[in-house]
Amino acid sequence: MLLSIGKHRTFEHTVRAFSADLFRFALWLCRDRFVAEELVQETFSRAWSAWESLRDPGNPKPWLMRILRNEHARLYERKRLDYCDEEIEDLAISDNRSLAGEFEIGQLIDSLPLSLREPFLLQTLGGFTCAEIAEQLEISEGAAMVRLTRARQALRGLVAGDDAPRRRRRGNDRG
Amino acid sequence: MFHCLDFRRAKLADPTRLPGEARKHLAACRACQDFARKVDADDKRIAAALQVAVPEGLAERVLLRARSRRLRPAWRLMAVAATVVLSIGIGLKTWLPAAHQDYARFAIEHVLHEPEALSSHRLADPREFGTVLARFGGELQAPVGKVRYMKLCPVPGGTGWHIVLDTEHGTATLLLIPGRDRSAGSVEARLRGFAATARRAGAGWYAIVTESPQSRDAIDALMQRRVSWRI
Repeated sequence: MLLSIGKHRTFEHTVRAFSADLFRFALWLCRDRFVAEELVQETFSRAWSAWESLRDPGNPKPWLMRILRNEHARLYERKRLDYCDEEIEDLAISDNRSLAGEFEIGQLIDSLPLSLREPFLLQTLGGFTCAEIAEQLEISEGAAMVRLTRARQALRGLVAGDDAPRRRRRGNDRG
Repeated sequence: MFHCLDFRRAKLADPTRLPGEARKHLAACRACQDFARKVDADDKRIAAALQVAVPEGLAERVLLRARSRRLRPAWRLMAVAATVVLSIGIGLKTWLPAAHQDYARFAIEHVLHEPEALSSHRLADPREFGTVLARFGGELQAPVGKVRYMKLCPVPGGTGWHIVLDTEHGTATLLLIPGRDRSAGSVEARLRGFAATARRAGAGWYAIVTESPQSRDAIDALMQRRVSWRI
């Protein structure tokens, strides 16, 4: 009985502490407020059922986000992405650009493919390291770093509408 | 040797956790300092944009649902005039045997298992209902009722939508079941005072559960008249 009360209290505390973060993560994944709330509901429902399997009660966030990601994947049939995780050394970094105005940022994030959006959200919303993201996504740390780099490149590149270095053209424009 | 390109890759991969080599390079390179400032400024704006408003009362609704699932036995029901359960299946794992009469019985059991849906009010945007139907292969030609509750639920074959409607023939819960069972026609079931019809439609089957065969048939006819299904 006492153990049960403790579990209920801990669960309640967890819901209050993390439901907002989970909602935001779900929303940026699925881009639908209604579905996002459902995902959060299902996440906590599953979390309650599997509460004893939580290995680190002091830090349930990674576990909850993993459940949510699985629920999201279950909801939408996930096609196997033909995504090539090049070594980070092979990535060329374009020249300095600035991000769009804030009102466009949400649309830019929306436009990222899921393969980039998901690790990006795990990092920016979840606060996870590259190693933790790699573990969540079941990819190598190098692959996680490539995707994160690509995500930021894409966000910066989408503003200008192209992704090729434009040093030559800028030089001509000035002339 | 650690170059500017190496730094930029590291910075873009994880702006706040630079490895030692990158930090050392940053200290000595003005161009990379400038690059780092821009990335940090971008990330700050992104972080702000990601902090969207959370629905009011979300935590409370999560806790309420958790409590109601813990406290209410599956067989206890709130009294309702009529219930139609509509659920759109998105996952496509086959669960039930091909016997389609099980879908009608399943729908009744689902209603029995989630009595809180009958007493909850969770008004959905009518456009959401139309979108949900469209995803399941149904085009809404005219309103079938006012949506009072809409929720995703596990159903045979994956995940579906559980919807409660106020129709001209009474309150209804509607369930869409994903499935590859291509049997034509419809099947019926009666259980514990409920009557159900399951009909092949769209990406699977829809089932209507009511408290009387008459309202069930009337609502089924309504669905057939007002929704065009792609089969």
